[in-house]
Amino acid sequence: MADWWFRASHVSQPFLFALLSLAFWYGISRVVLGWINYAAMAKPVDREAPTGYRVAIFLTSTPGEPLSMFEKTLDACNRVSYPHATYLLDDTRDERFAELSRRFGATHLELIGLPGAKAGKINHALELTSEEFVLVLDPDHIPFPEFFDRVLGHFDDSEVGFVQVAQAYYNQSRSFTARGAAEQTYAFYGPGQMGLHGHGAAVVIGANCTFRRAALISIGGHGVGLAEDLVTAIRLHAAGWKSVYVPEVLSRGLVPEDLGSFFRQQLKWSRGVYEVVFAELPRAISSLRWRQLLSYLTIGTYYFFGVTTLIYLVFPYLYLWTGYQPASMRFTEFIGETAPVAAIGLAIYFYVQRWLCDRSTETGVNWRGITLKLACWPVFLAGTMLAIVRAEIPYLPTAKQAVKGRFLKLAWPSLLLIAVYLVTVAHVIGSRMLSTPEASLELSSEAVWGMLAFATLPVLIACPAVYAAWQSRLVPSTAPWDSVDVSSIGGQ
Amino acid sequence: MRTRNRLMLIVIVIGGALIGSLALTTISSSSEGPVTGAMDRLGSAFGSFEHAMRGRFQGPGRSAGLKWFDGYRNSVERLKRPDGVLLGAFDSGIPGTLDGVVALEHSIGTTFPLVQIYMAWGDRPDEDFPVGLATAISDVGSVPVVTWEPWLSDFANDKHPQIPLRDQRDRHGMAAVASGEYDFYIDVWALGAARFGKPIFVRFGHEMNDPYRYPWGPQNNTNIEFIAAWKHVVDRFRRDGANNVLWVWSPHVAYRYWETYYPGNDYVDWVATGALNFGPIAQWSSWWSFQEIFGQKYPALASFGKPVMVAEFGSLAVGGNRATWYRDALDNITSKYPQVHALLFFNVKNDQTVTYQKVDWKIDGDSAVLRAIRPALSRWAPSNQQAVR
Repeated sequence: MADWWFRASHVSQPFLFALLSLAFWYGISRVVLGWINYAAMAKPVDREAPTGYRVAIFLTSTPGEPLSMFEKTLDACNRVSYPHATYLLDDTRDERFAELSRRFGATHLELIGLPGAKAGKINHALELTSEEFVLVLDPDHIPFPEFFDRVLGHFDDSEVGFVQVAQAYYNQSRSFTARGAAEQTYAFYGPGQMGLHGHGAAVVIGANCTFRRAALISIGGHGVGLAEDLVTAIRLHAAGWKSVYVPEVLSRGLVPEDLGSFFRQQLKWSRGVYEVVFAELPRAISSLRWRQLLSYLTIGTYYFFGVTTLIYLVFPYLYLWTGYQPASMRFTEFIGETAPVAAIGLAIYFYVQRWLCDRSTETGVNWRGITLKLACWPVFLAGTMLAIVRAEIPYLPTAKQAVKGRFLKLAWPSLLLIAVYLVTVAHVIGSRMLSTPEASLELSSEAVWGMLAFATLPVLIACPAVYAAWQSRLVPSTAPWDSVDVSSIGGQ
Repeated sequence: MRTRNRLMLIVIVIGGALIGSLALTTISSSSEGPVTGAMDRLGSAFGSFEHAMRGRFQGPGRSAGLKWFDGYRNSVERLKRPDGVLLGAFDSGIPGTLDGVVALEHSIGTTFPLVQIYMAWGDRPDEDFPVGLATAISDVGSVPVVTWEPWLSDFANDKHPQIPLRDQRDRHGMAAVASGEYDFYIDVWALGAARFGKPIFVRFGHEMNDPYRYPWGPQNNTNIEFIAAWKHVVDRFRRDGANNVLWVWSPHVAYRYWETYYPGNDYVDWVATGALNFGPIAQWSSWWSFQEIFGQKYPALASFGKPVMVAEFGSLAVGGNRATWYRDALDNITSKYPQVHALLFFNVKNDQTVTYQKVDWKIDGDSAVLRAIRPALSRWAPSNQQAVR
């Protein structure tokens, strides 16, 4: 295919062709990297948790987080069956949090004024405690009683530094955004992380990761920053610790319910992941194995998608309004050449669904997740730009409860795209019916309508995102955890 | 049960996609891919539709100037025995646009019933039967004349292991064509022509007796081999149902023995030759009139009893009076050369096929030439007669 793409006869505007090549081959390389990852897919063998380990759960709270959510989480922590201690790492200065800890048998640690946000508190709490294994739990994640029984067995290999489990959600049915955001994670927590596990590069997710204390101490504590979880994983791998990924749902948490929160979360991640690529990975390059390196590079370049999407979006309009064409390949030829790749890609997409964590609910065409990812391109682009100019954005926990968003503020990129598209369609039809010379009409038909077809696809995909923004104007009246019954979860 | 159904569905989708894509790659390596072929037809059908929509807003357009041609356009028989002279042109804007053809028409005040295009043999998608271009020409009212050049070196050996290696292929290449080695290509093209359905002129292997120009010439092939190749190609087309093709045999009459390349009355519908005056620009040339280039050979060309086509008609500007050249050529052409029934302007900018420097055959901007051509055409060109009425 490269032989076909890089034919000299295809280049009509060298600079634009270079940009298009970048976008096209980035896309192809994502597909191929995905396959490389899937090729290593592995599932760890079940190991029974030995008795007698000393285990802790670290739960962090920050000002503004709702008390009622902690009630559920602390209650569930208390019901985790393996003997353990629960610590609430609290800087809310709210007496009710301490009281809640006492009620559910947790130890309240007042940790105020520490730098490094969540990671700072974790590192300080490590000094105050002594348990051999530490589960870092996000406060919205409600653990199942069997959590440690499924995890601790893997630590019998003394080189294993951390065990990560899948992430799943209990509020995904509450809005389009929540459903889409959850769908985006299905493949990652199933075949994706299993592939990373096979490559020896399972990744810490920030929630639900159980660490060996000695491992964390050996790298000077939990990583700090926007992508603290990824940083921690790289440092542990670079220090020679092994990782295990258990593709099981052992807790359920929250996924952003409104588009604004989702965008903020994605901005934080995209900015943070670049930080990892630029700052963390070069340092670790010599101590990582090449398969781990490839895996981290794959993760680190994920958000470049924002740039390539912009290129794809702009080119059809450039051609339809000015006639500039980056590549002079025929539309039909393009379809013919890329169809096999698309067919194989689709086949593999469905094939790997066999390894999803929760097959009964996660199988199928997860179109909400796809549309939401595409709607995120301006966010990814912003993350990329912020990383290039090294602009800092503050670390804030993702909102636990839906935030009321302004429709236009969230939807303007999609609305702008739709508006430009409609004006362009009118322009194309008008000019071709009324002013294009008859003698060039038919011979330009394929190119013009082919380009318009290219421009149509993103517009169709943008429509659900507009709907998600519309839905985000309103906030549900109940908190998502109101309906969770802690006594009946788990054991699936 | 539902899960099992889903699994079955997934297996079917994967299996189908794999088998489908494998089939696609094997088929597309033997010829042009079926996807591309189908997409080409779809694209040209859409183009036709768009042209028809345009007609609703703006009326019939160019074809209004070709009403007199309606009886010919869909009749192979009438195109074998036309009355008068069918004018036409090749323009260097082709295949991108027919705008240059229309501009020439405007400048000399006529509408061409014929439009010439040049196609090479080979694997590339633009070496397929030109369904889009032929449809576009047909939709604006004309009939395509395809000069079809058997460049055997445009086929790749990895796709066609049975044919000789690229550098050995031209040697007796016409014998190989005659023996069926290139039927994989000829048949696909012929089926494309048959599917197109409307009459189309094919000027195959032109200037086959010129020992310097093309690989299908006498430096690689005997006249016997060329004739065998010609007959084989025509037979394949007839077998494939492409009876809408009119076969135009077009030797280079400045070189000797051209008559010995004639494939026979049953295999030829038209006899053609080029009439280009290069003037003193090339060392083998000097300023020759149309009479000198074409007229002297006309009796021999006419002796085959077929209608005669001047397939490439034009003069450069350097070395003589260009306007006079055109006037002398076009005045009284119907009485001087009564068997000439087609004349195709060679409207090419930056032609470099024969000479080392680029030469410009375009006449659109040469007002003296246009003033010479207009009155001549108004006396005998059918489109102009229609306009007068």
